[in-house]
Amino acid sequence: MKVSSGVSSFFCLVLGLALLGGAWVSTTAGASARGQSTPGTLKIAAEQEPSCMDWIGSCAGSSWGIWAAGIETLPQALTVTPAGDYTPSSVLAGEPILEIGPPQKITYNINAAAVWSDNTPITSTDFEYTWKQITTGKDIYDKTGYEDIASIDTTDPKAAVVTFSEPFSGWRDLFGGFSFILPSHLLEGKNRAKIMKDGYSFSGGPWKLAGGKSGWKKTKSITLVPNQNYWGDKPLIGTVIFQFITESASEIQAVKSGQVSSAYPQPQIGALDQLSENPELKYEVSFGSVFEAFWLNAKAFPMDSLAVRKSLIYATDRQAIVDEIVKPSVNEGRVLQSFIVPTFPQYYEPAFSIYGTSANLSKVNELMTADGWKKGSDEIWAKNGRKAEFDVQTTAGNEARELTEQLWQSQLAQAGFKVTIKNPSADVLFGINGPKGRFSAALYAQVGTPDPSLCGIFCSANIPTKKNGFVGNNWTRLTSAAIDTPWTAVDSELDRTARTVSVKEGQNALAAEAVSIPLYQKPNIFVWNTAQIGGPLQDNPTLGPFFNLNLWYLK
Amino acid sequence: MTRYIGRRILAAIPVLLLASLLVFVLVRQFGADPARTRCQQSRDLKCLARTRVQLGLDRPLPVQYVDFMGDFVQGDWGTSERTDQSVAESIGIALGETAQLAFWGVAFSSVVAISVGVYSANKAYSPGDYFFTGLAFAGIAMPTFWFGLICINYLTFHLKELLNTNEVIFFSIPNATGHGAINGFRELALPVLVLSVQLVAGWSRYQRSSMLDELDSDYIRTARSKGLTRRRVVWKHGLRNSLGALVTVIAIDAGALFGGLIVTERVFSRPGMGTLFLNALGNGDSAVLIPWMIVTGVFIIIFNLFADILYGVLDPRVRVA
Repeated sequence: MKVSSGVSSFFCLVLGLALLGGAWVSTTAGASARGQSTPGTLKIAAEQEPSCMDWIGSCAGSSWGIWAAGIETLPQALTVTPAGDYTPSSVLAGEPILEIGPPQKITYNINAAAVWSDNTPITSTDFEYTWKQITTGKDIYDKTGYEDIASIDTTDPKAAVVTFSEPFSGWRDLFGGFSFILPSHLLEGKNRAKIMKDGYSFSGGPWKLAGGKSGWKKTKSITLVPNQNYWGDKPLIGTVIFQFITESASEIQAVKSGQVSSAYPQPQIGALDQLSENPELKYEVSFGSVFEAFWLNAKAFPMDSLAVRKSLIYATDRQAIVDEIVKPSVNEGRVLQSFIVPTFPQYYEPAFSIYGTSANLSKVNELMTADGWKKGSDEIWAKNGRKAEFDVQTTAGNEARELTEQLWQSQLAQAGFKVTIKNPSADVLFGINGPKGRFSAALYAQVGTPDPSLCGIFCSANIPTKKNGFVGNNWTRLTSAAIDTPWTAVDSELDRTARTVSVKEGQNALAAEAVSIPLYQKPNIFVWNTAQIGGPLQDNPTLGPFFNLNLWYLK
Repeated sequence: MTRYIGRRILAAIPVLLLASLLVFVLVRQFGADPARTRCQQSRDLKCLARTRVQLGLDRPLPVQYVDFMGDFVQGDWGTSERTDQSVAESIGIALGETAQLAFWGVAFSSVVAISVGVYSANKAYSPGDYFFTGLAFAGIAMPTFWFGLICINYLTFHLKELLNTNEVIFFSIPNATGHGAINGFRELALPVLVLSVQLVAGWSRYQRSSMLDELDSDYIRTARSKGLTRRRVVWKHGLRNSLGALVTVIAIDAGALFGGLIVTERVFSRPGMGTLFLNALGNGDSAVLIPWMIVTGVFIIIFNLFADILYGVLDPRVRVA
């Protein structure tokens, strides 16, 4: 058959381009794999990509970055156990020595065997360098506590003596938690941010980035290889690849089909059923440090009334929300009764249990009537001609949150409140409406830390205003001495017992002021393929499930 | 033809400028505050004020736009507000990924769509035609996200179980340790399949309709009456004349694919233009969003131009002197 020249040209063009494309596919795929050792390779799904690897910089707030690369490659003074306790890491020779003072002093005795990947010892100068970088550097993520340090004595290279200008009770988070110690001998006098932001070749942990910066292939993966000079338990796997899979449903399928050996996905309805289809998979559901809450803006009508805020809590059937939102995805869940999560039991006080977990409409009627509100013909409370109606906002597109809003809207309608759902995008909610107070109620998550301070989100000093350039994280905008007093004390009290008492008082004050409505801890699913990997696998709510990756092994 | 192309390119410049102005003003005026995005993860109290000055946000919007475009045309596209990575580099990488997927999707879909369209027109109202018509409607109606997940479930896990192999046959995510053309095929097979379903569904209907028109034409009847076989008439005369409309649609769709593969890229974890857009949108990263929209606009204009030229090549009657 003779085909016309135009048509044959078209098909030839397609065929030619296809052949060209074939070469293209093979070239790019090949390039991505060059330099990787296939034997002994463990692939793990990572749900998020870090913005940068300059861990003290303002771009480094991503939990996934810390979990997948930070704690694997850099040393910390104190680390956090799965139970939420601080414990000395392998960098230290023992517990730091606290002298209450004044002045408050902490002595960190450094393990004699602790060295950087180039065999240079980790010394007190590294502590000093890290402190100076954080306090004097530009675009630093968090200077809290470091600015209270007056000096670091480096006379003894193996003992860093930190002296504070003011008491700082959260000292355990310094050089630990989400912070790391940096190598002064490699970074002193250089542009730290530039050297580290896209990855780095040095290491003071069990792993290092494969090929330094090239270990982080932007938008694709982070590849780790063992740090041969690590003095602690050396890794048992040749290569670990954290592959970015940002869609939870795809992540579940990738681990189910064995394309990755482990994952830490956001729970979603049906996820456990999917995972159960593969008998080689084992999963652990845990309730971590992230919790959801309805945050009330006390400067907005009608939330400026304590009676209304209390009534809203009584009107909210929090158990029903947990049953609808949390249980379908992980088969369990419980109502959170504070703004500190039970993951840290030493500080958790179930203060909001005074409101119960289900709706109590008679209590709503009692409180609202006593406050001068009356229901109109439309069954909505009104006072001085104004109705008890307000808007609620959350991040548009988040199905679980949108469903939670709808449940709340329906629950509050039965109690006599009219709620309108107005959802902006995440950047507008967190970038504009939250800081500027352009909301009445908002639904979003907060991350709890092993250090129990909540002053940042509840003390009146941290209310964002026009005067302070809308800086500060107390978006509830509630000014209350009853809240300020215990939480300010928490920030300066060095005695652990006295501090714990203040923490519990503070939680009770938050409940008494009905500052906002805690809902539930977000569950985590840690899943791994038992046919492919073994080791002491367990979730760590603060440091993620890969905190002991060096102890994992391939089967 | 050269003058025509030159005129079209010149006409595209004001369109692009207008589009860039609209995008810039809308994103800056109604999107997230770039300084706040940069300082979102910072607890440094002075970060916001310092960054506003650094980014020039304290100046009037028209001045900001002129500065931005001045830098943009010189290749300085700035850095991401969240990652500090070069925007030009990010878009370059993402464009490569998307181009690969779009290329294979368009190549595969066009061949299948033309074949199905020609068959359906040639055997109009036959059981085969109804079958393909039904498939086309199903393909158009099927949500890409859902179909993607179904494909992944059955063509990775269940196929592996069925064949009792240790490794999946097709990858649903890029294989970080693989290399070579076979690995490339295993990586791209599923996303191309998912992408192609909707393309083939739409294009095959165009081709069928266009081909039916041609087959009803007088010149086809003349050719048949002169004794040419139906097969020869269809493939030699009908197909070429029917391709004009479809090629135009393909070219326009291909241009839109450079910004429109959001769902496919998301489901298959491919770091292309769609993923870049989604991440930038979620992060309120206007430094990426504005150049992304301009680049996407450029591609749409280029492919529209390409469609016009191809149309002229395939149908000399509309060729511009």
